[in-house]
Amino acid sequence: MELKKLSKNVLKLWYIRAAITSLALVGFFISAIVILSVAEAPSDVRLAVLLAVGIPDLLLLCLTLVMPVLRYKMFAWGYNDKRIVVKEGVIFRKRVVIPICQIQDLHRVQGPIMMLLKLSDVTISTAGSNFDLSTLTTDEADSMIDDLEEKLEARIEEQNNEEI
Amino acid sequence: MKRFDKGYIYSSLLSDVIYSFVVMFVFLEELLFTDEGELRNIIPYIPIFIVAFILIYSCFTAYRIMYYKTSGYELTETEIRCNKGVLFRKHSVLEYKKIHAINKRQSIFHRIFGIAVLTVDSGSTNTAHQAEIMIIEKSSIVDSLVAELNSLKENGARTPESDSLEESVLLSESDSLYNFTSKKKMLYTLINVASMAFFIALIGALAIIVIGVCKLMLELDYLGTWGQYFLYAVLITLGAMLLSSFFVLIGCLLSSFVKYYKFAITKRGNNIEISYGLLEKHTNTFSYDRIKAVKVQQGIVQRLLGFASINLEVIGYTADSDNENTDIGVLVPFCKYDEVGEILERVLPDYTPDEKKTSAVSYFPFVSWFLLIFGTISGLALSLTVAIMLIFSVSAPIVLSVALSTALAIAIVIGVKLLHGFLAYKINGIASSGGKITVYSGGFTRKVTVFTVKDLVAVEDVTTPLRKKAGIASLVLHLRTNAASNEVKVHIQEASLTEELEKLLKV
Repeated sequence: MELKKLSKNVLKLWYIRAAITSLALVGFFISAIVILSVAEAPSDVRLAVLLAVGIPDLLLLCLTLVMPVLRYKMFAWGYNDKRIVVKEGVIFRKRVVIPICQIQDLHRVQGPIMMLLKLSDVTISTAGSNFDLSTLTTDEADSMIDDLEEKLEARIEEQNNEEI
Repeated sequence: MKRFDKGYIYSSLLSDVIYSFVVMFVFLEELLFTDEGELRNIIPYIPIFIVAFILIYSCFTAYRIMYYKTSGYELTETEIRCNKGVLFRKHSVLEYKKIHAINKRQSIFHRIFGIAVLTVDSGSTNTAHQAEIMIIEKSSIVDSLVAELNSLKENGARTPESDSLEESVLLSESDSLYNFTSKKKMLYTLINVASMAFFIALIGALAIIVIGVCKLMLELDYLGTWGQYFLYAVLITLGAMLLSSFFVLIGCLLSSFVKYYKFAITKRGNNIEISYGLLEKHTNTFSYDRIKAVKVQQGIVQRLLGFASINLEVIGYTADSDNENTDIGVLVPFCKYDEVGEILERVLPDYTPDEKKTSAVSYFPFVSWFLLIFGTISGLALSLTVAIMLIFSVSAPIVLSVALSTALAIAIVIGVKLLHGFLAYKINGIASSGGKITVYSGGFTRKVTVFTVKDLVAVEDVTTPLRKKAGIASLVLHLRTNAASNEVKVHIQEASLTEELEKLLKV
């Protein structure tokens, strides 16, 4: 089965989210500096607080900025008449195989930024678990849902015939 | 529509006496105690208490009567209908063929008036067919209803034959497929107490070591001489062990002797029936085909002594707050591990665990990520703490004691993880034969999950670039069961196993 890559717009979305998180982290660090300045804290206290806040903040910031591109590189998805396959993960790499006949319902969700970028989250519900197919373009998501719906009906009919 | 038995009102009014007292004392607590928490002279307030009690009790009584008047049930040709509620009225309809579980419950107040509560569950928590039926009737009528509904569940509609089943009798206790004897209950209690004592002893030992290091470094004279320190520390740990063991003992005795009183499993056609309880008597009936997995669990102490418990994963039985079905998943609360196969062979022959055919292929991956992440974070945290203490010119003994105690605690945590990893390495494995999959997983607690291939919903493999090169992967098997327990993980197996399991998926 040939696996597809995500649209470039998804990377944009993930970077917008990363930028928001980064802003929060930088804001937290700046707030610490401002509070210390206003409180006229002694220099050793300033140094200690800046070290305690700055180092974890910097590490988180690096991770936030690096992860989207790695995640985008590793993500792949695809489906055929019988199965859906999703590959994802940067350090821990997952590969999920979901039989189409196990699908119970399909969900498409859009947030405000996703609406601007014409993207949608797709969630596949089975009788046991929910699987997030991450973010697809809205057109891709719609055609996938329609396609899966048809395949599911055809597969169930096929199985019923097999049982008979 | 037939009304519930009048015994409902009488039993409720009896239990409401207690509730009324509780409510009254909550509202009138200030009349009883002074601001300093001392007991007042309550004689002048007695009339207020009496009036308040009558008012509260009247409210309860009015509610119970209204509930009685507005509630009822009806068995039609194809479905069971139920009305209940006073302010928020609920009308439920459940087709016989969609009945998933039938449970009988009897509290001590119900038993005084000879009534019982029958709940009929559709098994669905998120579909339009959801209907929670509750019937309060005389115990004998409930028994007949259980038998009748069991028959209607199979037939889907009422027939003259199904009416005649009303007189059928439940299997006697001597037909039970498993006996939870007093000896077993006592052992179950003692093992739970031992488990608690073991963990308290472990925490106590950790505390003694860490405080000992601080005493050495900081020369904490108030902790006495070394002899005194160890004596007091050991005594405190023993005290904590005894105190907690006492509470665990009471809890377990109540749980095993009262809750599991006359525990019996019976099988009638396609149905499994589990009954137990002294103060509150339960009879839970569900179809064999609603069982999605069987889980055999062994805690560390149970493992050492060779005991286990068997739990069921049944669709519709989830431990949510609106549901009183939390304990229904227990099939056998306590048995010898060697007996598990024999018990399951009798009760659920399709779910007898197989010996594992694959094993974990390497030990290091079980601990590698933990060591890397925990080691880095704790190392960074320790370095930062020491650096900050040095900036503040903290004295050398304090810095040293903090560093040593933290390092020791980190070493102990790593030691525990190494042990957990070793146990997991020995346990993890999988077996598949004849449309049945047995998964061995866990670490300190050993879990053996048995399910059929038809309930395997998806297969997921998790690996890292290095593990991929070595042909190693962890597997997550998604089952068709409750949201809280719909996956089983088996770690560090041959990557080729994923393909074998994918072939088993019903596509």
